[in-house]
Amino acid sequence: MKKLMTCLLAILMLLALTAQAETFKVGMECNYAPFNWTQAKASDFTVPLAAGGYADGYDVQVALFIAAELGLELEIVKTEWDGLPLALTSGKIDAIIAGMSPTAQRKATLDFSDPYYESDLVIVVNKGSQFASAESLSDFAGAKITGQLNTFHYSVIEQIPGVQKQTALDTFPAMIVALASGRIDGYVSERPGALSAVASNPDFAFVSFEEGLGFEASEEDTAVAVGLRKESPLMGSINTALAKLDKETRIRLMDEAMARQPLSE
Amino acid sequence: MPNTFFGWIHLLIDEYGSLFLQGAGVTMLIAVVGTVAGFVIGLLVAILRTIPIKPSAPAWQRILLRGFRTVLTVYIEVFRGTPMIVQAMVVYYGALQYLQLDMSALLAAFLVVSVNTGAYMAEIVRGGILSVDKGQKEAATAVGLTHWQSMTNVILPQAIRSILPAVGNEFVVNIKDSSVLNVISVTEVYFMSKSAAGTYLKYFEVFFITAVIYFVLTFTTTRILRLVEKKLSGKDSYTVYGSQSDSNAPIRYSPEDR
Repeated sequence: MKKLMTCLLAILMLLALTAQAETFKVGMECNYAPFNWTQAKASDFTVPLAAGGYADGYDVQVALFIAAELGLELEIVKTEWDGLPLALTSGKIDAIIAGMSPTAQRKATLDFSDPYYESDLVIVVNKGSQFASAESLSDFAGAKITGQLNTFHYSVIEQIPGVQKQTALDTFPAMIVALASGRIDGYVSERPGALSAVASNPDFAFVSFEEGLGFEASEEDTAVAVGLRKESPLMGSINTALAKLDKETRIRLMDEAMARQPLSE
Repeated sequence: MPNTFFGWIHLLIDEYGSLFLQGAGVTMLIAVVGTVAGFVIGLLVAILRTIPIKPSAPAWQRILLRGFRTVLTVYIEVFRGTPMIVQAMVVYYGALQYLQLDMSALLAAFLVVSVNTGAYMAEIVRGGILSVDKGQKEAATAVGLTHWQSMTNVILPQAIRSILPAVGNEFVVNIKDSSVLNVISVTEVYFMSKSAAGTYLKYFEVFFITAVIYFVLTFTTTRILRLVEKKLSGKDSYTVYGSQSDSNAPIRYSPEDR
């Protein structure tokens, strides 16, 4: 019995090793459109998920590009956001490509590649509200504003003079419900997320700011990069691959992802 | 894009129906495996914890039994006293990071839910054993049954009957609590729902469907358990073999008399 167990274990480990050698395992939530989402049907752009369904989105296209450059087969591991860093450090996945910004706090545990996307911060509001015509942050004085928990979207709210900062919410859908029900006047989002929100909720609009009138956020916050284990040997080759992904291609990939997401049908 | 509540529900079922069902399947699988395995763990732990420590036994035996009891108590308290989401992350990621033990997400889910449920079940079974009159155990010992024999033949059959409602509770809790396992990439029905919500940014509509799915799962389960309870209770009326107050009572047991 013991021998059998040892044999089985050895085979399992061997399988695990060979699997690791050939595939590039990437972790993402697959529920943060347009960066990554899950759909039931396959298309030319999707990657099948082990647990069922197919993943698509900007992150998926970038992951496919990197995997092709590395000469590895891409495997997407659908994992809840909170579980992603642990999945990476423990070795369940090789990289996080999940619309994650390389913040200083995250850099304490993870290494990040060069950015593969850069976005700006906007505020999503109700179309009819007095804030819909705002042009600068000071126009939001007195507004009830919130942002996603554990993101820099939430910490930049303090830059709005006289704002009524609300409790942070867990997810974007939760903030959308809060905004639709009128419990908040607006929430901070990055442009792609705001575009999706407005697409699905015709009563919403978003306010973007001219240079100097909006939030001040460091580049490491607005940029989105590939998360890697500390001193990962993949760092060099991933950066080389990303360097080939020029700005036009990035914009095209994001535009295509926005057009392809189930919302915009 | 639809603009009514039910229009959205129709679209979501069309687009994500198969994924919802897949997720529900995973949820049910984890709940069934976890509850059954947890029940077995609970029974074993309860049997082991009730081994009597005789003052006449040799010292090494008493120390061993006491040590054993302490270990089981620690198991129960630790797994009952920490959240399952934490246990899942520690087992799944911790095992790989510190022990180089790479298990699949589903295996980790089975393990965590079983061990967690086992801790609760051990206490439920202990309650069941306490509810059986002490005289039964004494009588079983008097006719020479060992601890194991008296437990499996006399005490537990009665205890299990009375703890079934509590076991049903655990089952229902497991169906719902498996939703925390998405942190270890288990794609159960709640995670699938979050994906649908995250894709269409429709919260109410998606979670209406999710609520219906969970309700169907738990309601079916509790109905089935009620049937099992009824079956275990036996018939409402019966005649004792060889009863002297009923002249038609069969005297001797034979299978044809049934």
